[in-house]
Amino acid sequence: MSSSVAVVGFYEPWWIQIIKALVIFAAAFAILPILTVYERKLLGRFQNRYGPNRVGPFGLMQPLAEIVKFATKEPFRPTTSIGYMFRIAPMIAILTAVAALALVPFGDVQHIFGQRVGLYGIDVSIGPLYVFAFAGISFYGIMLGGWSSGSKYSFLGAMRGAAQLISYEVSQGLALVGVVITAGTLSLTGIVHAQRGMWYLIPQFAGFVIFLVASFAETNRAPFDLVEADAELVGGYFTEYGGTPFIAFMFAEYMNMIVVAGIATTMFLGGWLLPFGIHPPGWVDPFVVVAKMMIFITFFIWVRATLPRLRYDQLMSFGWKALLPLATLNLLVTAILVVS
Amino acid sequence: MSAVLFFIAAIGALVGAIGVVTLRSPFYSVLALVFHLISLAALFLLLRAEFVAAAQVVVYAGAVMVLYVFVVAYVGGGEELAAGTALRILGPLFALAVAIELCVAMLGSGLKGISSKGAPYIAGFGSPAHIGRLFLTKYLFVFEVASLLLLVAAIGAVVLARRRRGLEPYDEDFELAIHARRPAGTGTMAEGAGTRPAPTAAPQPEPQESAPPPPPEPEPVES
Repeated sequence: MSSSVAVVGFYEPWWIQIIKALVIFAAAFAILPILTVYERKLLGRFQNRYGPNRVGPFGLMQPLAEIVKFATKEPFRPTTSIGYMFRIAPMIAILTAVAALALVPFGDVQHIFGQRVGLYGIDVSIGPLYVFAFAGISFYGIMLGGWSSGSKYSFLGAMRGAAQLISYEVSQGLALVGVVITAGTLSLTGIVHAQRGMWYLIPQFAGFVIFLVASFAETNRAPFDLVEADAELVGGYFTEYGGTPFIAFMFAEYMNMIVVAGIATTMFLGGWLLPFGIHPPGWVDPFVVVAKMMIFITFFIWVRATLPRLRYDQLMSFGWKALLPLATLNLLVTAILVVS
Repeated sequence: MSAVLFFIAAIGALVGAIGVVTLRSPFYSVLALVFHLISLAALFLLLRAEFVAAAQVVVYAGAVMVLYVFVVAYVGGGEELAAGTALRILGPLFALAVAIELCVAMLGSGLKGISSKGAPYIAGFGSPAHIGRLFLTKYLFVFEVASLLLLVAAIGAVVLARRRRGLEPYDEDFELAIHARRPAGTGTMAEGAGTRPAPTAAPQPEPQESAPPPPPEPEPVES
């Protein structure tokens, strides 16, 4: 690509890109265990009990104890399973979840050490499509995990996951198209900048609700966690997994939750912008984004503690007969309003 | 760097394509096809066609192949399909014809490109905005015809699925059979969710009686 015609906005040196990737990954990796404790403590409070409070102060060391416990377990797989696929599946799940995280913008372009550094992994011209591409691949993590386990529970869980993912991906995408039309750009930082006057939560409220509901299904969270319905499927696609591969799947699930919260923050809650014209210095931006993401994550946990699991046919008919028409209608109305 | 990526992606695409036709199990064959498509997407990325790459993954790997996997995992995998003699002869012939055609196309146009530096990269090339503008100006007719074709395909799929006894009537029969055996208002999930009204005048439960025989197949709906 030595062509002289190419004009890129600005080019970050390779070492900054590597540092950015490491920092974002490390931060997310550090947040994840805390998130599991947060979820369990919050669930405990919702259910009128304490939640984990034995290991470390306030039970904060609980994930550490669990990681040690899982990592020291004997690697095990059923005799009917297919070995290498059984091992690859959790890797696909983690890889796609982490790759999608790169898109979430944590702040505007800053000047650090005389370099212009964007506080995000990448800012691609295709924007949300990037996330959907990796969501499409992440399906194979679930699918291969369920199929190669050689167990009927795993297989059924994976099949549910397949149907659920492709059903709700459409609504999720259409809900975002409304935002993209309003902002007039696909770049996520551009969408945040377009929300300077008003967050898209207000003009795109219908899209916001649709996106949120579809996100529950996409991340396999309650009340759409039929993929791992423990009452009927034991554990869904990871029934046969134990030890670190099991942690990998849990890691991917929580990472997907973080990504969805990040995308929702960016698309609807104005990313790193603060209301009432407050302009904090640039280093505050990531904390604003993380705080907004925590709102979504708390909501996810709250819903999990509140709503019962749907039945499978209810899930499908809701997705196709209610959510998809609503999303299409929202898109049409938005397009008409923007054009007129 | 780009050369390394190119060779990785190209080898991946070739391996995937060979795997599709040589692997015996249909499930592995489909997975090889997915691998092939993702490698192609990487090649598109190297050509700076970000949108095409994303569309390739979202549409083909993420939607079309998901259905393939779905079907193959449910019904495939058992017995191997034995190809008929006609297929055994015609298959290689068609493959040869496609190979000759591709060779003609490549030798006719591609060889000229080797000695030159290739097309220059124009800023914004391959971006969604660029592609969208082309779709609505230069290629408007083709774009509309293609969308019409997709619409026809979607309607055709609905019509075909309907003609073949959809799920609905069967589900209702099934529900009726269940109803006959359960006292009214015992609170099923369907009643709670309101998708089915509580059976106010349900027949008395008759223990030790098997469900009524399923009614005959409904006539295919004329559409």
